[in-house]
Amino acid sequence: MDRRYYRIVVEGEIGPRYAAAFEGMEICAANGETEITGPIVDQSHLHGLLGRIADLGLTLRSVSQLNTDP
Amino acid sequence: MLPRAQPGAVRRARLLSSLDGDNVTALTLVDAPVGYGKTMLLRSWCTEQSGPVAWITVDEADADPVRLWTYVASAVDRVSEGVGRPALMRLAVPGGAVELAVDQLLNGLHSHAQPLAIVLDDLHLLGGEASFRSFEHLVERLPDGVRVLAATRSDPPIRLARLRARRALSEIRARELAFTLDEARELLVRHERIDLADEHVELLVQRTEGWPAGLYLAALWLRDLADPGEGVRAFAGSHRQVADYLAGEVLESLGTETKDFLVRTSVLGRLTPELCDAVLDREDSAAVLSELKRSNVFIVALDGRGEWYRYHHLFAQLLRLELTETGLAEPAALHRRAAAWYRGRRLVEDAIEHAAAAGDEATVAEMLAEHAVDLFRSGRVEMFLSRMKRLPLEILIEQPSLPAFGVLAAGQLGRPAVELQQLLSVAERARRERPASWAPLHEAIVEVTRVAFIERDVGVAVEHARRAVAAAQADPENTVAVAALASLSNALFFAGDLAQARSVALEAVERPEAPERPVGYIAALGLLAAIDAEEGRTASAVGWARHAISCAHETGQADLWPVALAHLGLASALARTGDLAEADREATRGERLRRTPQPTGAHAHALIVLAEVRAARSLLTRAAGDLERAQAMIAELPDPGRLPALAATVERLLAHAPARPQQRPIEEPSEGELAVLRYLATDLSQREIGARLYVSLNTVKTHTRELYRKLDVHSRSEAVTRAKTLGLLDSRKSPG
Repeated sequence: MDRRYYRIVVEGEIGPRYAAAFEGMEICAANGETEITGPIVDQSHLHGLLGRIADLGLTLRSVSQLNTDP
Repeated sequence: MLPRAQPGAVRRARLLSSLDGDNVTALTLVDAPVGYGKTMLLRSWCTEQSGPVAWITVDEADADPVRLWTYVASAVDRVSEGVGRPALMRLAVPGGAVELAVDQLLNGLHSHAQPLAIVLDDLHLLGGEASFRSFEHLVERLPDGVRVLAATRSDPPIRLARLRARRALSEIRARELAFTLDEARELLVRHERIDLADEHVELLVQRTEGWPAGLYLAALWLRDLADPGEGVRAFAGSHRQVADYLAGEVLESLGTETKDFLVRTSVLGRLTPELCDAVLDREDSAAVLSELKRSNVFIVALDGRGEWYRYHHLFAQLLRLELTETGLAEPAALHRRAAAWYRGRRLVEDAIEHAAAAGDEATVAEMLAEHAVDLFRSGRVEMFLSRMKRLPLEILIEQPSLPAFGVLAAGQLGRPAVELQQLLSVAERARRERPASWAPLHEAIVEVTRVAFIERDVGVAVEHARRAVAAAQADPENTVAVAALASLSNALFFAGDLAQARSVALEAVERPEAPERPVGYIAALGLLAAIDAEEGRTASAVGWARHAISCAHETGQADLWPVALAHLGLASALARTGDLAEADREATRGERLRRTPQPTGAHAHALIVLAEVRAARSLLTRAAGDLERAQAMIAELPDPGRLPALAATVERLLAHAPARPQQRPIEEPSEGELAVLRYLATDLSQREIGARLYVSLNTVKTHTRELYRKLDVHSRSEAVTRAKTLGLLDSRKSPG
């Protein structure tokens, strides 16, 4: 299956320490929130990432699938 | 062991009183994301209880329900002695439904009739449908006075709405757990003695949204700051994520050595001073840990003795990120040292987990192979199988006991036939390619598994069982000799060689180690009972059967398959002595234990015994039904051995069974049927009867069929005989 691109938005701007937890994803922190964008291979990958977000105490704002490559 | 309350934590009076409100429910969920102080709240609740509390910290490995309930039953048994014992005994035996162990625990709680709280921390780590199903099973059946409190990060996948509707669930969620302004003030100003104005406390609560971890981190950071008010303003003005900002500040403020210690030990999960010493190659970990405990709230004591700790989950995550970020040490190297330390202390499961985390497959394989027998005897079959299946094929072939025990594990766990076949083919490759390391034990295990779970052809089963016996007797430890003999006796029993089956079963029960091998021992006793019953040695059969059943009770196997044959043998023996009601109960019990998803010869045999007992009781319809099911199963077996002959015997018995004189039919025949019945006593054909009664041939046939059903008979002459004994054929009413 083709991988799809997702954008996950969490509350607060994360720094490099947290960014290390999302290897392979692009991190964009601005305006009091952080966008984590990148290719997601399948649903297990996505759920793993969401689990990671919960483990790190980050507050999830939204998860969306992007129509095209960013 | 109940962990002590945290010294540096604030007492959450508001929440504690809601846990003990007027409506205490069977289940209380403390349900919120990481850092909301769930564990801390439950711990402080526990320390204020006067009654017993059983505390269980769930971990990832508890996806295996056997492990979960072993922990729960042990914890309950520690605080209420004896209450968890029957469940533990049940859990030690492989292959039973875990709900049966939960029922044992519930029975214990019911008869104990004392208040008890069971606390499950980190319930969200529980995985697997079976674990949650058994958890729900417990919660829905708790006796009065027993409650479960669970801390979890996500709603457990059980029917919460149903529990809510029954008022069996109360919830404390993030909104309740968040610090109020007063609580924040108590923590920061009164407890930590930080010089903060009200407006600063307010700013902190706003910025953290009352998130307890954020406020505790803030306290750690601010207490060493010259101007905490200034610190708060800078934090409030930043857009940085709360934990990221605060953890950075806290880590910054720690001395290099402390920070180094924390970062390196973050991979350990559970910590004890000796383990830290071994992993970090130092000698003062005890002092570091106790200093950490004194000064901050991010370390949690796991026992009351100060031996085992863990870091707060969030803090551990942050430390692990720091480890990745700084490259201070190679995580795999740390895991490898931890694995070696655990291995040296024979803490096998932890050693395996760390070796796996280090990516050290060779060590995982070596340890699984070395401890296979112990892991099986302690019911860790599922863990064994899941770890084993993650190893590459080359390693499995190098360590033949892995695929050999893997086949047995898959059989005991009732895994699909495809999986068994796959594992079997790996085992066969190991035997072929590494004949030198393929030991008799491996051969015996594979053959026993084949006979018990795979082979459906009786003749082939005898061959495999003979190989199992030969191999098991060559194994110097005699690990499976009793089981192998029992399986050979069983195969011979079905093949029809009762004399040899009997002498092999005797050999099994007479082995010195037999009573220590309950599965094979009970099965062999059951075979002796069944054979002696069948050959008319009734008293002896009853003796064997009763011994087998009491052994099964003592070893927690009363509801498992090995004892099935003992019940069936007892049923046959009792039927011969005329104790028919008791025989029916025993046969029913034996049949229930023989049920499997696929038809088996063993189940067909149980149905035949049941049919025989019911025929003796003149319950002819039910007997015929049982026999029919047995015959349908037999038809699906490639070589059913002597089962068709056994079934035919019962069939003949049924055909000649005298109707039970006193018993009235359950359903009275209709007028039309009674009219036909009177003509059945004559020698008129059905067509002629129709003509006499002015009805069609079809109607006569329908009435006749209904009569047979209601009278529980299969022929015209039987119907007449039975009708006479029931007084349905009064001579005054005879035709003609």
